[in-house]
Amino acid sequence: MTTEMRKTGIDVIGDMPWGTHVCLFYETKRDLLDTLVSYCKAGLESQEFCLWVVAEPVREEEARHALKQVVPDLDRYLADHSIDVVSAGDWYLQDGTFDLRRVMSGWHERLALAMARGYAGVRVTGDTAWLEKKDWKDFCEYEETLNESIANQRLAVLCTYPLAACGAAEILDVARTHQFAIAKRHESWEIIETPGLKQAKAEIKRMNVELEQRVVERTSELTAVNEKLRKEILERKRAEEALHQARGELAHATRVTTLGELAASIAHEINQPLAAIIADANACLNWLAADRPDLDNVRAALAAIVNDGDRAAQVIARIRVMLSRSSVAHEPCDLARIIREVHPLIRPELGRHGIMLETSLARDLPMVIGDRVQLQQVLLNLLMNAAEAVRDVPPQRRRLMVRSTVEERDDGPWAVVAVEDAGVGFKEDEAPRLFDAFYTTKPGGLGMGLSISGSIVDGHRGRLWATANQDHGATFHFALPAMR
Amino acid sequence: MSSEGPVVFVVDDDRSFRDALRRLLTSVGLSVEVFPSAQAFLSSPRRHAPGCLVLDVRLPGLSGLDLQQELANTDTTLPIIFLTGHGDIPMSVRAMKAGAVEFLTKPFREQDLLDAIRHAIDRDRVARAERLELAELRRRYDLLTPREQDVMGATVAGLLNKQIAGQLGTSEATVKEQRGHVMRKMQAASLADLVRSASRLGITPAGSGPTPPR
Repeated sequence: MTTEMRKTGIDVIGDMPWGTHVCLFYETKRDLLDTLVSYCKAGLESQEFCLWVVAEPVREEEARHALKQVVPDLDRYLADHSIDVVSAGDWYLQDGTFDLRRVMSGWHERLALAMARGYAGVRVTGDTAWLEKKDWKDFCEYEETLNESIANQRLAVLCTYPLAACGAAEILDVARTHQFAIAKRHESWEIIETPGLKQAKAEIKRMNVELEQRVVERTSELTAVNEKLRKEILERKRAEEALHQARGELAHATRVTTLGELAASIAHEINQPLAAIIADANACLNWLAADRPDLDNVRAALAAIVNDGDRAAQVIARIRVMLSRSSVAHEPCDLARIIREVHPLIRPELGRHGIMLETSLARDLPMVIGDRVQLQQVLLNLLMNAAEAVRDVPPQRRRLMVRSTVEERDDGPWAVVAVEDAGVGFKEDEAPRLFDAFYTTKPGGLGMGLSISGSIVDGHRGRLWATANQDHGATFHFALPAMR
Repeated sequence: MSSEGPVVFVVDDDRSFRDALRRLLTSVGLSVEVFPSAQAFLSSPRRHAPGCLVLDVRLPGLSGLDLQQELANTDTTLPIIFLTGHGDIPMSVRAMKAGAVEFLTKPFREQDLLDAIRHAIDRDRVARAERLELAELRRRYDLLTPREQDVMGATVAGLLNKQIAGQLGTSEATVKEQRGHVMRKMQAASLADLVRSASRLGITPAGSGPTPPR
């Protein structure tokens, strides 16, 4: 708290921290007044409470007068007790004796009062010209106590000693009990450092060097650790990217496998419009070969050819999208559209096994963020599993339902897609393993479908789960948070 | 014999293909009737014109093969041309074994389908003619008295009148007269003609042989 620097008003000292305890040796009254006036002025200007204890040959009146020369507002300061000028006799001595504890507690009272009144701290100067030989020892003890006790206070003390009254022993005593001393030599003020201060400064310097050395060492250690961390982060990032890519490739590979399983059905889906196109084209040729071609018929057939061509192209486009891309996109996706797009891919396969597919779509299904192709893959996997589950059950149970709903959760709306079947279902003890890789209940199954679907849904920060239906079969659900 | 022109029946669940096929067959002058499902075809009134059935193997509900089985269980002998989205060998074997005329993979060549249809219609026409002829023979045979039927059986077995009379315990003159009735009622111009008719009717030469199929 005391690192805050204060202006001393004394050029040779410059700024000082709170807790400074310094002694000044003066030869002339003039030097003393000049220095202390400047000292008190600086204190008043810094919103400090000032206490000037004067002693012979300076009188209180003289001190005030000298101060008034440089501080025009002095009367106001005196009136509100921002500065008190008191005589040493009143301050230090009571009944003509010096009492260390009384004077010490006097300082602390002043300090507490000043702090309570909102001053920045207390600035004191006290003259010691009144000191007599009998009190010297006690006063030295006082100075020593003061030196130690003001260290952490918002208190600064400047003790003034008349050089003429001091012998060599006294000077040494005074210098020892203060942080440093100033004295006028050869017409200019000088700082005389005490051995303790010198030692402390040397110690500080040594510690500074040591500290700097440690900072250098620590910095280089930190730099090395940082570099290592940076490398690790980079490696982890690379590993994550590789994992991400591997996941994308695995999903792609299983997509290709899935489409392979559906190839026969999909070929049918393409052959159907092709057969229609060829039949219509032949019909046109036949009509055009007539003497009077029936152009209405030709036109109708040509329109049908265009429609069927579009239909085949759409199937191929959907397959191409599923086959081509292994990188993962993050774009707004409409789950209703995804459901519609999967329809023609799975419909022929379902038709082949006499399976009906119904859909029930929520009107206000929110958009989600993700990869359209991967989400199609999840739905396709769930539908293929469901188709497999109903293949060998009685015909009236060979129907699937795709249902989309909106769920309000704590973190906002979620889009949920459920695939229901009335098939063979799963046993309770199979439930925990359903989503494991290489786990399958199908004779020819790879056991990757649900595992891949699970990792895709995870990658979309969604959930995939299964529930057993009350009567027959199972329902697989996947839920994705709505796009924000 | 009916004078109605041939009709091609098409059963396919894919509307655009169904319509395309209708346009194609119409463009070559064939009469076409299309149905979206086997059930729709079965519940339509039967026609007596010669024709054939162009049938998709995979149909929702009753499949093409199921329909073939269903038709085989009735008297209908409509020749069937199967179509499939992709070559399904076990299915085509089953269909051909069950009497299908042709098994074509979509998309097919126009000529292949038209040839198959022509072939199927010809086959149906012959079958129908044979069926009509057989019905006529049976009608004629039913006009014979039991004794005349016995005489006819013995005659086509190659017995002489005298042998027949001995076998039936009657006079040779009676047999000769009854044989004349048989020839007239059966509208047989010669003995060889009568033998052919008997063979069509499945009458075995033995006089006490099984009754002809009805």
